Amino acid sequence: MKDFLKHNGILILVIALLLALITAVVSATFGGAANPLSNLAGVISTPFRNGLNAVVNWAEGVYTNAFERERLEEELEALRKENAALKEEALKGEAASRENERFRDLLGFRQKRRDLDLWPAKVTAHGSSNWSSTLTISEGSAGGVEAGDCVIDQYGNLVGVVTEVGTNWSTLITVVDVDLEMGGLIARTDGAAILEGDFRLMGEGRLKLTYLPEDTQLLAGDTILTSGLKTGDAATYPSGLVVGYVEEVRSDDSGMSDYAVLTPATDLDSLEQVFIVKDFDIVE
Amino acid sequence: MTTKDFVTKWLAYGLMLLPVWFLECFVLSRFPVFGVKAALLPLAAVAVAVLEGGAAGAGFGLAVGILYDTAVPGMPGAMTLALALIGLGAGLLAQYALRQDLLGCLICSALAMGIIDAGRIIARLFTRSAPLEAMAGVAGREILWSLCFVPLIYLMFRWVFRRVPKATVL
Repeated sequence: MKDFLKHNGILILVIALLLALITAVVSATFGGAANPLSNLAGVISTPFRNGLNAVVNWAEGVYTNAFERERLEEELEALRKENAALKEEALKGEAASRENERFRDLLGFRQKRRDLDLWPAKVTAHGSSNWSSTLTISEGSAGGVEAGDCVIDQYGNLVGVVTEVGTNWSTLITVVDVDLEMGGLIARTDGAAILEGDFRLMGEGRLKLTYLPEDTQLLAGDTILTSGLKTGDAATYPSGLVVGYVEEVRSDDSGMSDYAVLTPATDLDSLEQVFIVKDFDIVE
Repeated sequence: MTTKDFVTKWLAYGLMLLPVWFLECFVLSRFPVFGVKAALLPLAAVAVAVLEGGAAGAGFGLAVGILYDTAVPGMPGAMTLALALIGLGAGLLAQYALRQDLLGCLICSALAMGIIDAGRIIARLFTRSAPLEAMAGVAGREILWSLCFVPLIYLMFRWVFRRVPKATVL
């Protein structure tokens, strides 16, 4: 080959020059379209180029799969972990923000009620029985909680009364529980009455106000507060806590007396945090 | 059944109580249906009693009763005693009068829930804290809603029951 090129080099150069000349002339003659020689070469080579291209692409894919896949999977896993961590952070931030908001609301309430000694607690479980309405909270005797302590939300609305105290947990009956009984006060008229749970109303998340003052006309939306007055054997509760709002007035089964159906001021289903009233000024 | 099998089976039954308890106390308690929440722990005691018979049913009922009294506020000790007796009764009933299958479990569960709610109604009638018709309404709906979960609970405990050899060599 080396000898052939040495002996025929000039000839080859001449042929190449001629071919180039012919190509140039033909290209100029056909004006933009491929010349017949190029076209023929293209027609013949296209299937091979396509095939080669496909092989190269396949090889590139195999290479990517073999060497890049592992890296990509690692990267994906790392991103997933990062995403999970960020989501967790966001959730924590959200929870902290909600807690902060509750404490801000409480601060406003505290300015008004300096007589109350409050202790925060989380709601850890909602009662699962159809025969009572209870909540379990995250503070117990270790935090100074005692049976009979009132529990309020961040707005000062009454949630219920602690009935059972463990070391780091307590159970409370809510304002709609059938065992609840305490003195109530109609805010608009200052009339005293009795707040009681009722079995029929408990399932609907409501309670009733009985022993209504004779000369008082109740209106829908009237605010009912705790009176702080002792009723029967019940413990003494702080006064002025919002219990609920009058929804309607009904007559009892005997038809002899009326009672008011109240909607609790607190949203018992969505409570997350509550505040235990550990101490307060007793109203004489 | 070897001692190891025996212990494993009862541990597995005990572990099966956890999802049942979680479902009752943390999930279903937040979503009442027809105004009532389903009671699942008594159904677990009945399911094991139907599968294992009277004596074992009483023992498991006792354990479930303790868990129930711990988890659900109410009259302390009442469910411990009630579920032990219900376990014994359901086990004997399924063994000698009914069949130890899903239908037997369904019948025993209905009876058990009826007895528990009758006890509650009688207790409240004594204290005059609620009218009978209101309590009967709640009891009826509670029983019906709870019975919907019998197949699930029965299958969970039967899964454990079938995975332990039955030839007894204690």
